[in-house]
Amino acid sequence: MSDDPVADLITKCAGGDRAAFRLLYRATAAKLMGVLLRILGERAEAEDALQEVYTRVWLRAGRFDPARGRGMTWLVAVSRNLAIDRLRARPSETADDAMETVPDRTPRAETRLVAAGEARRIADCFTTLEPDRAEAVRGAYLDGLSYADLAARHAVPLNTMRTWLRRSLLKLKECLDR
Amino acid sequence: MTDASLTLRETDEVLAAEYVLGVLDREERAAVAARLRQDQEFAGLVAAWEERLSGLNGGFAEAPAADLLPRIEARLFPAARSPRRWSPLRWLAGAGVAAALVLAGLAMLPPPRSDLVAVLAAADNRLAYEVRRSGQTLRITRVAGEPAAEGQVHELWVIAPGAAPVSLGLLQQDALVVDHALPAPGWVLAVSVEPAGGSPSGQPTGPVILTAQVEAGT
Repeated sequence: MSDDPVADLITKCAGGDRAAFRLLYRATAAKLMGVLLRILGERAEAEDALQEVYTRVWLRAGRFDPARGRGMTWLVAVSRNLAIDRLRARPSETADDAMETVPDRTPRAETRLVAAGEARRIADCFTTLEPDRAEAVRGAYLDGLSYADLAARHAVPLNTMRTWLRRSLLKLKECLDR
Repeated sequence: MTDASLTLRETDEVLAAEYVLGVLDREERAAVAARLRQDQEFAGLVAAWEERLSGLNGGFAEAPAADLLPRIEARLFPAARSPRRWSPLRWLAGAGVAAALVLAGLAMLPPPRSDLVAVLAAADNRLAYEVRRSGQTLRITRVAGEPAAEGQVHELWVIAPGAAPVSLGLLQQDALVVDHALPAPGWVLAVSVEPAGGSPSGQPTGPVILTAQVEAGT
């Protein structure tokens, strides 16, 4: 057993262990529901997406590589990818809609020590960015905002937003990899 | 996607970051998703960005969900709960596939042998794939016919009851080996014709040419 119980459960799912799948659901559904609800904004759609997420998790568990990252990171990535794909598939979504569907901006204290350490590290690195750019990165990650949404929200041209964000991402990488 | 001020390496690095951040539009995301399936090095960049930005995950507050586990399990493991109640035709009808062709394909299926999970065969047997179990992997071999025409590829999908199809990979010259929990009885395997590189959208886009249901007792 490793020090990452979620990763262990995913690995067991890859071997067809249904009991591990149940445990994985019980341990992680509330977190993934939080991800889906925040990005999609509607409970019914988030619940539908949650079923799809765990279906994918079972089907793709064999692709999870514990050497590449933690189990919870992978689960959140599967959830965010599904939610963002659904957002982008919505017909003629406007930036205004995207802002109205943001449900809850209050972050809850993260209890896991590792995660708290990482959160502090990324928070430190965010201080190296200009405040509005840090806000744009955070908004994209947590609320699923597209370049178009961000450009509208920050009232800058689309290409300016692209340039801002790309430079910010490279700067973040430099800081986080240090 | 090009930016004159970035090096080639930085361009990939930035594209991986943009994908993980989620800022790309639908077409751009689909293109990256297709590349991820083929380019291990690029997939590594994406995984590294997922880990790098995971410090933001604390910003997602937990939210109580209704207990959806019974519904998910009924979808994934139908045999245990409602054996054979689900028909592949529902999905096929929804996908607008020529059901006649499919029925003909299903009728031709031989009874599964021990390690044989399913046979995907055309009505006239001019194209057929065998899906066999080998330990915890599935091995898909073309046993009749030719690979897709130039510029196209056969893509294999698995469909759990009521769920969207999930790609298992591209069927090319060599056998496809999928590291994968075995599909349950009642699930459907399907082959569609996609542009080279695979479906750009992550869902079948071309015609579905073969399907088979996973039989109980395999």
